[in-house]
Amino acid sequence: MRGFTVLLQKEFREAWRSWKFLWIPLVFALLGMSDPLTNYYMMDILNAIGNLPEGFEMLMPELMPVDLLQASIGQFQTIGLLVIIASFVGAISKERASGMATLLYVRPISFGAYFMSKFIVMSTVSLISILAGFAASVYYTVVLYGTFEIGTLMASFFTYFSWLLFVIAVTLMMSAAFTTVVATACAFAVIFIGQIVDAIVGAFWTISPWKLPVYGVQLMRGTMEMSDYWWSLSITLAITIICMSIGALTMKKNASMTKI
Amino acid sequence: MTILLQVTGLTKQFAERVVVDGVEFTLEKNTSTALIGPNGAGKTTTLSMLTGLLKPTSGSVKMLDGNLRANIGFLPQYPQFHPWLSALEFTEMAAKLNGVPAKKAIVEAQKTLEFVGLGNDLNKKIATFSGGMKQRLGISQAIVHKPKLLLLDEPVSALDPVGRREVLDLLKGLQLETTILYSTHILNDAEEMTDQLLFLRDGKLVEQGTLREVRQRFDEPNYVVEFSTEKEAKLFASQSELVGEAKGRNVYIEIINEKPSMQELLQYLSSNPYKIRKVERQTASLEEIFMKVARKI
Repeated sequence: MRGFTVLLQKEFREAWRSWKFLWIPLVFALLGMSDPLTNYYMMDILNAIGNLPEGFEMLMPELMPVDLLQASIGQFQTIGLLVIIASFVGAISKERASGMATLLYVRPISFGAYFMSKFIVMSTVSLISILAGFAASVYYTVVLYGTFEIGTLMASFFTYFSWLLFVIAVTLMMSAAFTTVVATACAFAVIFIGQIVDAIVGAFWTISPWKLPVYGVQLMRGTMEMSDYWWSLSITLAITIICMSIGALTMKKNASMTKI
Repeated sequence: MTILLQVTGLTKQFAERVVVDGVEFTLEKNTSTALIGPNGAGKTTTLSMLTGLLKPTSGSVKMLDGNLRANIGFLPQYPQFHPWLSALEFTEMAAKLNGVPAKKAIVEAQKTLEFVGLGNDLNKKIATFSGGMKQRLGISQAIVHKPKLLLLDEPVSALDPVGRREVLDLLKGLQLETTILYSTHILNDAEEMTDQLLFLRDGKLVEQGTLREVRQRFDEPNYVVEFSTEKEAKLFASQSELVGEAKGRNVYIEIINEKPSMQELLQYLSSNPYKIRKVERQTASLEEIFMKVARKI
């Protein structure tokens, strides 16, 4: 892991100076607060700007706090993941294509250390982002709807973070293996098409990384079959480690692709 | 002289195309070597293999005095930096990644940046740098850890004349402390700063040696005698027992096996009633030699 701390410092500086530590958590915070607020004020919003006919009445479902957190996680799963993947998919491939990697690759660094430093910074940005997202969602839900049990909330949070580690590992691995355009297509395919496939035919199996975000919510509802949860979590973390290893190896293998 | 680097049978093949073909040379310590060749000759590929960025198809690169990767400094033709870092941060990072201890790294980075003329721009973001400043920063990141071998890919070709002069002077200053191998197609630079020449053509090393040795092999020296009139020049060329060709007021006399000597020529000229303006011995410029080597079958 030669050069790890120096490379980690460089990655933190980059994320800090490109405002990633600010704007990505801000996006997640906005996504997190949108569902509790819009659901709570839905009738008021419709009455104010909906142009509803006289005497129109709509029966709104009675939402539980966990329903709103589930809705927020749904937002993270679409726009949130889109932001994270788009922000980080060029982390390795763009450096190679621009030639910025050349002045690092010619030094006696460990590619494992370089990959790891990028993974840690991306994970930290993502952790802060979902912390902001969960905090915003939970705050408005608690204020407007009711409280959560802190233990299951924390479990749900860390389950979602484990899923994000998987997303980051896949994204970085693709970035190490391909050009930015191809890496983007591949990362989107694995994460989003994987979700769609899991949603359509996932009833045939109970263990999969793509189920983790749903399992996080089920933990809060108390309806989770725990063995499926643990298996899914373990497999997700195992695949994450495998993706990181493949990513570091392909980063080294493709070092010659860097522009000179 | 002690040999620092030994390159043996270095070959790189991409699919069916052999880009570098069995290149062999040695570099002596504290010498400067120019890798010359037309575009597509394989200069950058050769340097890429020396840096370890590209794996050779066959052949080897051995540093006889330590680990190659830890002891090289490299400057690409168009160095790209992380624009959000300052010059000092980048150079310090480069030093640390090459194993310079943290406390020493910042001191060395400052010293090196001052040496390359960026002493007043230590904390400026690289994004604001001009091309010349980036090239100087490129040199500073390449030398901050005091490498034994400095590899430079076309170090001045992208610069304007002022920047070119500044960078060349910097490199000349480094010649005494480190071994330099640089690729170039600007032959004046090679003439100015070279102990050894390596001519690459179609991936093959077609000529190598000191500037003097290469000159001796390819030079076709002659004397140029300038007469006061064109008529005199023509008359001299037609009547003289020396082999000469008149062009305008000049007559070009071939020197074959150092004959005639300058003394013999002057004696001959003084014994004839010609009005001579100038007599000089001409040797081929590196550019002329380059053209000959490039055309050599």
